[in-house]
Amino acid sequence: MKRISLGKVTSYGILIISSFASLFPLFWTFSTSIKNRTDTYVLPPKFFNFHPTLKNYISLFKIKTFPHIYLNSIFITLMSTLISLILGSLSAYAFARRSKFRGRTLLDALMIAVRALPAIVVLLPIYKLSSYLGMYDSVWTLILLYAGFNIPFAIWLLTSFFNQIPIEIEEAARVDGASNTRMFVQVILPLAAPGLVATGIFISLLSWNEFLIPVIMAGENAKTLPVFVASFISNKNLDWGPMAAAATVAMVPIVALTVFIQRWLVTGLSSGAVKD
Amino acid sequence: MGLVGTLTRKQRRLTRPIGHYTLGTWVLLALTILVPLLYGIYISLLDINLASFLAPQFVGLKNYTTALQASETWSTLRITIALMFLGMIVQIPCGIILAVALHQQLRGTKIFRSILITPMLLTPVAVGLTFRFMFDTDLGVINWFIGKLGIESVNWLGSQTSGLVAIVIVDSWQSIPFVMLLILAALSAIPTSLFEAATVDGASNRQVFRLITAPLITPTLLVIVMIKIMDFLKLFDTIFMLTRGGPGNATTTLGLWTYKTGFVFLELSRAAALGVIILIITMPVYFLWRKSTRNVR
Repeated sequence: MKRISLGKVTSYGILIISSFASLFPLFWTFSTSIKNRTDTYVLPPKFFNFHPTLKNYISLFKIKTFPHIYLNSIFITLMSTLISLILGSLSAYAFARRSKFRGRTLLDALMIAVRALPAIVVLLPIYKLSSYLGMYDSVWTLILLYAGFNIPFAIWLLTSFFNQIPIEIEEAARVDGASNTRMFVQVILPLAAPGLVATGIFISLLSWNEFLIPVIMAGENAKTLPVFVASFISNKNLDWGPMAAAATVAMVPIVALTVFIQRWLVTGLSSGAVKD
Repeated sequence: MGLVGTLTRKQRRLTRPIGHYTLGTWVLLALTILVPLLYGIYISLLDINLASFLAPQFVGLKNYTTALQASETWSTLRITIALMFLGMIVQIPCGIILAVALHQQLRGTKIFRSILITPMLLTPVAVGLTFRFMFDTDLGVINWFIGKLGIESVNWLGSQTSGLVAIVIVDSWQSIPFVMLLILAALSAIPTSLFEAATVDGASNRQVFRLITAPLITPTLLVIVMIKIMDFLKLFDTIFMLTRGGPGNATTTLGLWTYKTGFVFLELSRAAALGVIILIITMPVYFLWRKSTRNVR
């Protein structure tokens, strides 16, 4: 069972140092968010020897638009994920169960194109179009755009989950005379439930983190959390405390979610890069 | 006879047409990607300025010739490529080392893996904000730390070189886990019997890596290079948060320059032309990527 080995000590050393490097910025953001101004702007930096305060969070939640923005982010994330899952699972079923169908190669190529395409290329014309059509600054425009950009990931992921369902189960249902629709709804979807959940969480992450689409397409009405977080740096006098509180509030749901879906994440994150 | 009959009937049922299942995806992608793309090409042939009330005129390829003659187009393209190289030089070796360390299956590997992938999941904008105050010249924790090591304070976000280094540091912090995961997947796919056989034959660790591991993870490395090229062409959030492309345009990438042209200088048509140029630059990578993912399969 010998593998390429770095030696135990070296490996542990590398893993421990890099874990520290991965976690330190998180720790630092959180600790800055619960510090008073006097504990924030000092040298040497205070790591543990300060009195925690909730002042920064209170001032954050006092910003009138903040609850609206947070709800926007949640609503847009949920709806766009739902659309990606519904349309994505239908397409993924076609990909997983038919080697050939009309438009397969084209759709495959288009999905990779969406992955490769810098969003700015399409967002400029979308911005222009949406102001024509009165769709600028609408949550539904954002929902559709998020879904469009994320659906390739949903299809790649779900295809690999559907592929794991033994074809024999489907054959048995076929012999019993199940139609495509019944097969999909009553056999495939229930069997792929864990995959749907994993894909849903992965797509939600992408939506939650999205910045370029809303910074171009959202005004005050449809503003999302990342746009709000980014607006902190346009102030001339950067106030680190509330800034750190805003960053923490944006990242907390992610850390919470990822603890649950560790197992699936690895598949999800490398999907699309390597076909299986 | 009867058996053959059922088989063909079953096969016929199994191959029932299913193309229409993708209809929804097609509509969604047409609305959000295809139509805007075509409209973008159309816009790039007009002279729309968002601050002007004049009716747009058709100007042909003028926006393209202007873009290709403008020094900013080339300087921002150079910066994009510099970031790309710098990023890959850091991220690929680090990813390999971490993947190999995780692949030893030491005790605690799962916990380490969970910790190590966390950065890639976090909101890039929030991460940018975090590093923004960590990079602060006078009171930032990073300058404090390198001061302890006896290095002079750096005005990280104030000059081109240090600004690009800062961007690469933050992007690497978020992207190394992805490289690591892909390589780890490739390593796990190598049958252990190969390593055992090599060890029995008396191969050294170095020989095992050079003769077995390296050739078997090369296809994955190629995929990673493709993805990195695409991601650096797309990189936006991190730069926006750290330097906004400054000082001046010293850390502005082609993508950010397109954004500025469109939404800061309001030259929508010129920006659309830049967008099409980015699209053309992306094309070869796109085709190579399609090819390489097929090989990896």
